[in-house]
Amino acid sequence: MRKLLLGVALTLACALPTSALEAPRKIVDYDIQVALDPETKLVEGAETLKWTNASDVPVGELRFHLYWNAFRNDRSTFFKESGGQLRGDKADTGKGWGYTDVTSLKWDGVELVKGARFESPDDGNPDDRTVLVVPLPRPIAPGETATLAIAWKAKVPRVYARAGYVRDFFMFGQWFPQIGVYEPKGRRRRTDSGWNCHQYHANSEFYADWGDYRVAVTLPEKFVVGSAGALVDTKTAGGRKTLTFKQKSIHNFAFTADPRYVLVEDVFDPAKDIPADEIAHASKTLGRSEADLRAGFHKVAIRLYLQPDHRAFDRRHIEAQKWALAWTGLWAFPYPYAQISIVDTPEDGLGATGMEYETIYTTLSLKLLSHWPLDRIYLPEMVTIHEFTHGYWMGLLASNEFEESWMDEGINTFTEFVMVDRKYGAYLKVPPGIGFLDQEVNRAQAALSQDHDPIQAYAWKYATGDSYGRNSYPQPGTTIQQIRLLLGEEAFWRAFRGYAERWRFDHPTSEDFLDAMRASGDPHVAALIPKTWYGRGWVDFAILEASTQPDDGFMGFDDADKPVNFDPDPKKKPPKKPDEKNHKGPWQSLVVASRDGDIEMPAHVVLTFKDGQKVERTWDGAGGWIKYRVTSSSPLVKAEVDPDHRTVLDRNPWNNARYTKKYEGPSAAAKGRTYTLHLVEILLSTLWGVL
Amino acid sequence: MSVTLSGLSAALRHRRLAGVLWLSLLASALLTWYPMKALFAIFDEGAFREALVKGWDGWGMLSFLLTQRHEIAIAEASIAAALLAFALLQIFLTGGVLRVLVDGRPRPVFARVVAESAGLFKANLWATGRFALTALFWGGLLVAAPVKLLGKLGKDAPPHTFLPDLAFWWAIVVGAIVFLNVGLRFDLARIALARGDARNARGAYRVAKQRLSGRRASGIRIILFWLALGAVVQAAFTSAGLQINPHTDGAVAGLFLFRQAGFFLLAMVRVGFWAALLVWEERRRPAYSVIGSASGGTTWKSSEPMAASAAASARPETGSSVTTNGSALLSS
Repeated sequence: MRKLLLGVALTLACALPTSALEAPRKIVDYDIQVALDPETKLVEGAETLKWTNASDVPVGELRFHLYWNAFRNDRSTFFKESGGQLRGDKADTGKGWGYTDVTSLKWDGVELVKGARFESPDDGNPDDRTVLVVPLPRPIAPGETATLAIAWKAKVPRVYARAGYVRDFFMFGQWFPQIGVYEPKGRRRRTDSGWNCHQYHANSEFYADWGDYRVAVTLPEKFVVGSAGALVDTKTAGGRKTLTFKQKSIHNFAFTADPRYVLVEDVFDPAKDIPADEIAHASKTLGRSEADLRAGFHKVAIRLYLQPDHRAFDRRHIEAQKWALAWTGLWAFPYPYAQISIVDTPEDGLGATGMEYETIYTTLSLKLLSHWPLDRIYLPEMVTIHEFTHGYWMGLLASNEFEESWMDEGINTFTEFVMVDRKYGAYLKVPPGIGFLDQEVNRAQAALSQDHDPIQAYAWKYATGDSYGRNSYPQPGTTIQQIRLLLGEEAFWRAFRGYAERWRFDHPTSEDFLDAMRASGDPHVAALIPKTWYGRGWVDFAILEASTQPDDGFMGFDDADKPVNFDPDPKKKPPKKPDEKNHKGPWQSLVVASRDGDIEMPAHVVLTFKDGQKVERTWDGAGGWIKYRVTSSSPLVKAEVDPDHRTVLDRNPWNNARYTKKYEGPSAAAKGRTYTLHLVEILLSTLWGVL
Repeated sequence: MSVTLSGLSAALRHRRLAGVLWLSLLASALLTWYPMKALFAIFDEGAFREALVKGWDGWGMLSFLLTQRHEIAIAEASIAAALLAFALLQIFLTGGVLRVLVDGRPRPVFARVVAESAGLFKANLWATGRFALTALFWGGLLVAAPVKLLGKLGKDAPPHTFLPDLAFWWAIVVGAIVFLNVGLRFDLARIALARGDARNARGAYRVAKQRLSGRRASGIRIILFWLALGAVVQAAFTSAGLQINPHTDGAVAGLFLFRQAGFFLLAMVRVGFWAALLVWEERRRPAYSVIGSASGGTTWKSSEPMAASAAASARPETGSSVTTNGSALLSS
């Protein structure tokens, strides 16, 4: 009865809040001890897990993620789906396998591991060992907290997919037996309570409950260790050391170890590191005072674990990190943790690069990019900004990356290109003045690539890995940008920040984000969402026809059958056509604009005349086409639909304009041909150095 | 006169010869003209015309690259064809260029270069084949194999530490040394063919080996100097060309002429290089040399320098069997 009352109380407390949480609802509490033998790559671990049943129903079994079993053999679902390679890195199938074996799992002193079994809820793969199901001798009552003692052994895989080792570099991500998520009714719009514990897939990331972590890592003294937590204790004995870290209010715990790390420390100081123009811009756009926006900012310790050959990148990463802390603090909410750790992975361990964990992430440095002229390529900065900001869309708004990967990757891609373009301009720069904006690169990958799926799908259910990539990263990022352009700056950013603040420390769904975007009532946004998030909608504006000709006045028979401006005598020659060059007007022009695809979007149509006059019309995009007939004193030279390229989803922006023969401006084709001819000549002339 | 000054002086004097080389460059590049015309037609029909006339448009160019894949593939094929044509043209023309330089008569040039080149083409082609094989052999033996070995030794070494760095720099430095050595012998072999010191590639390579004996470093210095000079000319004109960013059709035509002037200058550098190498080779010729070994017998001939006019009068306008030991360059 007592348990039942507790359960009811807890369920009430855990019911979906109508406003933002100040802190997460903690479901788990981990106390982990782990020892690493860097020679054999073997790990021994023990954890005490306190898990609370936050639902209103008893739970009769527990489910655990054993992610490293994805690297156990070539029969795992991860290996089968990935083919043993991820993002260009290949598995070392010689000796790079890894695993996690739970050797003991006790609840109230009762050993449960013998009754445990592996299940593959997603694909039924009998060989997959990434989800462990543990039947319980009695159900855990609603609100009850079970304390479990778990022991396990593991072997670190050679890194090709996020976690693993290369030489003495270790990245421990998703490394311990982690309990799945038992979602109570109402969480993420669920209609009934149940486990959400998916297998580890090639194209999926993670989902977990909030909690506190205390992790003690034992390893040789020479190692420098960075982690998601704050170091609270150090003990050394017999050439080994035990470092104890603590972190509250996170939903995973990652750490890294490498004897070669150079630790670079800095502090984000909001008094100095928030750019004045950015806070002024945010204040105006969001309609909040600067003092209001500054509230909640605090100093953040930045720890950069740098490879010794990447010293040239220390300031680059730190400056990018500070900018990201300032930007996200203004446009979402201030970063709540006291520290952030940046892990610079070695160049022979790029499989670990570009991965986010909470309060710690891995970034990219390539020595090649430290030298002129490649130092103008801001790829390292982009990766730092991208991975840190995952800490918001995966971390602080703890979305389910298995089922809604776009909520992390897509929103993050959007905020990444906003941040990168604002700070660095073109991030792929080739002198002089030639480069691409991050937004343009993402837009090209989204609008101009093949699509086979909607944005929203389970991560492993996209047609191909490329389709997962497109629909998780650039397509949602670009579609959010499209919504921004439709709503306007103020409405969009207020909705965006509102969403971030509302779902901080919670678990939002796609519909929660989309509701925030729909709230303004813009019909085009409302129409766009189902076509893109749940469909394969597309749009292509074009000018189908643009012509202009002299209007020589009335010609033919009038109502009284009198010939006007012509002689009906068949023996006489018809009058010569008037000379267009000397025609003083008026002119008759015809323009046909079209919108192909199933996304209805509004667009401007601009007609430009030879005398410089412009006629601008707004077309609501309804119907497949619109026709304009214009009489003007000057000939039409150009017709253009969406001249400012505001339809960022436009599949072919090149057909958005047409020129008439009356256009006398310079030729871009001649310029392009000339430059290319020179490029070919440069290429050919290099043979003079050989032949 | 130093070798370098001789080269510079010849480059200035033999402008028509440089013109032939420049024409070969332009003609080869123009093979891409029609595919490029088709590729870039959309620039004048599409939405980015005015933006591209003004300068760069990132979104325009990205979307152009992604929406015009078919046209780009055709243009790429035409570039490959141009590369092949230019390579063959250079193999063809080098013999004639060298003969004209040996003669020292700055004109008439075009017909002579073509005629002399035709006579030497087969031997030059064989020499090029041998160059490719030797480059592959020595590159494999002295560059690829050691780099692979260093890679194995440094398999577990962190990036950018001693062994991986050594492998990288070995590939760059030893690769360059191998290339320069193999290239220098190839160049000297072609000189031997042009001078008539040998009738075929095999004999020419043997003569080249004799010329190189003990003097490789100074020969390589010549190559490096002229390569560097060419790189400076190329970089200067490319950089200036990009800065120009023409906004009118007239300015585009002006840019075209400006860049052609740059390529013409580059061709002059090429002529200067050959002239300098000829002078260097001339100074390394023995008092008596073996010629005509390919004919089966051995003919000994005096190698006294000849005056330009004498050299010219001694040689018919065409034919590959002419032998001469003198150089007008030396006496100029």
